[in-house]
Amino acid sequence: MSAAAVSAATHCPYCALQCAMTLGPPDDDALAAGAPVAVAGRDFPTNRGGLCQKGWTSGQVLRASDRLTTPLLRGPDGELRPATWDEALGMVADRVREIQARHGREAVAVFGGGGLTNEKAYALGKFARVGLRTPFIDYNGRFCMASAAAGANRAFGVDRGLPFPLADLGGAQAVLLLGSNLAETMPPSGAHLAGARASGGLVVVDPRRTPPAALADDGAGVHLQPAPGTDVGVLLALAHVLWAGGLADSRYLASRTTGAREVRSSVSAWWPERAEQVCGVPAADLRAVARLLAAASPARGGRGAYVLTGRGVEQSAQGTATVSAAINLALALGLPGRVGSGYGAITGQGNGQGGREHGQKADQLPGARRIDDPAARAHVASVWGVDPGDLPGPGVPAVELLRRCGTADGPRALLVHGSNLVVSAPDALRVRERLAALDLLVVCDVVPSETALLADVVLPVTQWAEEEGTMTSLEGRVLRRRQALPAPQGVRTELEVLHDLAALLGVPTGFPVDPAEVFDELARASAGGVADYSGLSHARLDADHRGLFWPCPATPAGSEQHPGTPRLFLERFPTPDGRARLVVVEPDSPSDGLRPDAPVHLITGRVLQHYQSGAQTRRVPALAAAQPEPFVELHPLLADLVGVADGELVQVASARGEAMAVAHVTPSARLDTVFMPFHWAGPGSVNRLTLDTTDPVSGMPDLKLCAVARRPAPPSAEQPADDEPVDDAAAAGRGPR
Amino acid sequence: MRRVVVVGNGMVGSRFVEELVRRDPDVAVTVLGAEEYEPYNRVLLSEVVAGTVELASLTLAGPPVGGVRVRAGALVTAIDRERRTVATADGPMVGYDTLVLATGARAVEPEIPGLRRAGEPARGPSSLVAGVHPLRTLDDAREIVAATLNARDAVVLGGGVLGLEVACGLVRRGLRVTVVHRGTHVMERHLDEAAGGAVAHALDRLGIRRLAGLGVSSALVADGRLRGLLLSDGEAVAADLLVLAAGTVPETGLAAACGLAVDRGIVVDRQARTSDPDVHAIGDCAQPPEGGHGLLAQGWDQARRLAEHLAGGTRDADANAEHEAPVVDVLRVKAQGLDVITMGVSGAGGDGRRAVRLSDPGAGRHVEVVVEGGVVVGATCVGAGPVAADLTSAYTRRTPAPLDPAHLLLRPARGGGAPEQGGSPLLMPDRATVCRCNGVTKGDLVASWQTGARSVADVARTTRATTGCGGCEDAVCGLLEWLGRSDPSPPGGQPSLARRPAVPGARTGSTRPGA
Repeated sequence: MSAAAVSAATHCPYCALQCAMTLGPPDDDALAAGAPVAVAGRDFPTNRGGLCQKGWTSGQVLRASDRLTTPLLRGPDGELRPATWDEALGMVADRVREIQARHGREAVAVFGGGGLTNEKAYALGKFARVGLRTPFIDYNGRFCMASAAAGANRAFGVDRGLPFPLADLGGAQAVLLLGSNLAETMPPSGAHLAGARASGGLVVVDPRRTPPAALADDGAGVHLQPAPGTDVGVLLALAHVLWAGGLADSRYLASRTTGAREVRSSVSAWWPERAEQVCGVPAADLRAVARLLAAASPARGGRGAYVLTGRGVEQSAQGTATVSAAINLALALGLPGRVGSGYGAITGQGNGQGGREHGQKADQLPGARRIDDPAARAHVASVWGVDPGDLPGPGVPAVELLRRCGTADGPRALLVHGSNLVVSAPDALRVRERLAALDLLVVCDVVPSETALLADVVLPVTQWAEEEGTMTSLEGRVLRRRQALPAPQGVRTELEVLHDLAALLGVPTGFPVDPAEVFDELARASAGGVADYSGLSHARLDADHRGLFWPCPATPAGSEQHPGTPRLFLERFPTPDGRARLVVVEPDSPSDGLRPDAPVHLITGRVLQHYQSGAQTRRVPALAAAQPEPFVELHPLLADLVGVADGELVQVASARGEAMAVAHVTPSARLDTVFMPFHWAGPGSVNRLTLDTTDPVSGMPDLKLCAVARRPAPPSAEQPADDEPVDDAAAAGRGPR
Repeated sequence: MRRVVVVGNGMVGSRFVEELVRRDPDVAVTVLGAEEYEPYNRVLLSEVVAGTVELASLTLAGPPVGGVRVRAGALVTAIDRERRTVATADGPMVGYDTLVLATGARAVEPEIPGLRRAGEPARGPSSLVAGVHPLRTLDDAREIVAATLNARDAVVLGGGVLGLEVACGLVRRGLRVTVVHRGTHVMERHLDEAAGGAVAHALDRLGIRRLAGLGVSSALVADGRLRGLLLSDGEAVAADLLVLAAGTVPETGLAAACGLAVDRGIVVDRQARTSDPDVHAIGDCAQPPEGGHGLLAQGWDQARRLAEHLAGGTRDADANAEHEAPVVDVLRVKAQGLDVITMGVSGAGGDGRRAVRLSDPGAGRHVEVVVEGGVVVGATCVGAGPVAADLTSAYTRRTPAPLDPAHLLLRPARGGGAPEQGGSPLLMPDRATVCRCNGVTKGDLVASWQTGARSVADVARTTRATTGCGGCEDAVCGLLEWLGRSDPSPPGGQPSLARRPAVPGARTGSTRPGA
């Protein structure tokens, strides 16, 4: 296990900021912490050499004490036992063949992840369509970026989280940040807000007083604290004030957009006093913020403004509507497609951007092409060397896919890659039931995550510093992930796993194991698509240490290479008429409204020290020590009412289930809202409470908000009973959600 | 295809059509609107008067595409319930299966001698002398705005919400404004005397004169124009603009003429049915069993419920009517410099209804919150600022009230969740986080100093403080400065407070590993 590390310029294994770091041979401190590499921040436009605590300690994940190094098979006694790779892969292939023979090709489904490299995501999508020939593939990004993607696609004709470099934020006079706790989820990004703060222009919309909200203190900006689930009302009221006060950029609207008239009429009914009643935000604050944004807009001589959304507003059954309302506001201000201004969605997972472009989505083929578009099918089929008619059609989004698992007409087998879905999916107890009803669950993982522990077959795979590949950051910048040390013995890459499985299933070619070769094929498959990578290769990315922004199409041999596209929309929007589209949206009431027996909102989110389901970070002692356990954050007056003191256990119950965790009593909460982070499994797992109702456009589930009752834990609950196989908070779980 | 005819294309009528067509796209709807305009936002007319809202932004979303036919400027003259037809002044008869009356209300025009042009007994704005205007329609607002260009002295008749909004708007336009009202204090229907006193305070500050307990005896008119008013106490006040804001009366004429039951408004049941089951009435023209508030929220709620009913989805709505009924009685004044919101009940009562109030007349502030059964059942906020938004949210959502309702009278002081920076390092507890990105506490920084760290770069090397977003750099500098002052013998010599370079590429060389 102690193979020597070489120096490698790579990027952090965690979030979409993909901080640049250098891995080197371990020094004394690294060895003392049990890390096989030394980690150092590397100067880069996004993280400027900075890292957060997760990044600095990331080397330790490579030597997690329970690292999987051998395949596991569930025996007749129900126990997982070590097996050889041949046994494990043979068993998977046999069972897949048997299930498909009996129930049809569609009886096998694939579940991917937004943390997988572009190469793995691409290979996985191809494996589903060509190796398994099933339409049923989707991924955990459905819980992440689906609403932002749907909203951006319908407005701009393209979905790239930030259509501009992150560092552009630094020059703006105002930044409106909706539902994003970026100071905890991607801490080094906070530096780019300094310019807006210096102008008093940081506007944070969040029901909690989060760290970014605190950054707006002392004249640096404004924190609007709406009642949970009412963000659309806030946005419509801001747009109302712009138009009512003659502050909208009418020249821009006339020349670069369609739909402004209809949206203007629709927001006429959202005057600030009405929004105040719906959202709980004072009308005077809404007016002040609208004027602040207008003053920063280019049309009024400002230095520029940005509207940014995060999961807090997107992970909702009205997520797409909220994104559309945010984009409408940005368009009314004349921001998108102007240097120094814009709208963006802040991607969450490490490869949340690239992971949704290369074929893991139920409705997409590589290059962010639609799977129901005959031209797209023909192109991709030609790259894959198959008949377009043999490609399956669209599958179903993640929540629906999980709902169907193990049902009479649903998938009988599920292959999971890069996702700990029994922790991260909504209504987690039901997801656990669905997985248990499958005939075959195969999980590729690094550590025995909660999901891996339910599997019939567990396949141990490589992780970030042990592999080569590419990631696409929140900016749409394609970055190289580089290998710093050999994988532990017994561990294989997912490219190798897919190659071997495809061969066993009768597809011996088309699944190369060299990431550079896979990338070249991905590039060809994406050529001409929205997310065009065809001008990129590992070699070209190695020569350019700053990465390159897509689209970056191939150019004829001998001509200049395409320089990539840091800023989209400067000339036109990639819509049929070249204009951005404003879309009329109306707020809906929350799916899970307050009731006498559930009179308080529950919202969910993250803490700085943990990533996604916590499977990696809970295994790092410094992070586990800083945030050892799940908690329920509640206002002192609500705590008083419930009769619970800081540090005591409190029970939270929704119509789906109950959870119990330690009370954190703090005035940062609204009186009517409790908060729980979602990084833990077991009795404190918040997704036992959340809803699986979904957005009608994007399929995004309502992960962020539900109605709950809360009470002190019963006296017998000193140590919450553990109803799950493993739940040592400091040593269990894994993986990108 | 069922034919639904809607009389009235105002805020409630147009909302009803939208709600109905969304639920039942197969219905054939004809809308007959008396005004020539697309439906517009009447609630904002007082802001047009104030000059804070552009006229063009009042237009509401048009009818959904599909089977909706809108006839603007179609004045309905009669309803024939036998034949189920509606007659208009200059168009064909329109047949209906279901008729919905959303005719709204009109401004009360008091019988004041001199108010009307001689020989024109008919009611309606057209007969009023120049300088006298109700504020009910877009045209009224336009005319008032035009009148303000030459007028100097305005009188607003009526001390209710609309009257006060108009008064504030006219003051913004530079007019001298007097509010004349009947009651002992303004907004008498909604506020008790103490709250009314706080409002009076705010009006004084805005320079708006109030004349309470008075009416107008006659209008003083010269050359066909208003010049002044003679009040009921005998005082004469100069006035070249009089805005009538003394309340509204439901438009029931058509309903009464065709024999429907009419009281103050058109009498309807909970399903908005009139005495003829094929005819419904919603909005300001209707008189439901619980009484009409004259508030838009009530009309919109009726529109939604009727649309649900007609589209065939009433069973659930009916069953849950009591429990699910949305709150529609939040009353709010929209005017700059005047901050008044009331909702629900006022005052304590038997059975554990507690009312706590904060009375601060000197500052024009009055806040009352009423709690019963653990939830807010009423509140009155004058000059209360953002507290009003919190109380509205608690009232409309029925969220749990704190054990001591007095906590609701003020916004909780800010503090939680903020990075524990600033203040004297001496008073900062050791466990206070200085660098959140890397979880570095003051104690960690002190320990780092004790092992020889003297500069931000030293501290960054040993603790990683400042190496995330960099936002804590000032705090770290402050701590090092404080340590330098308080440590008698710095082992590393003179402290160096050099900040890290502006482009922190310098840290690239660090080989600090994970720990």
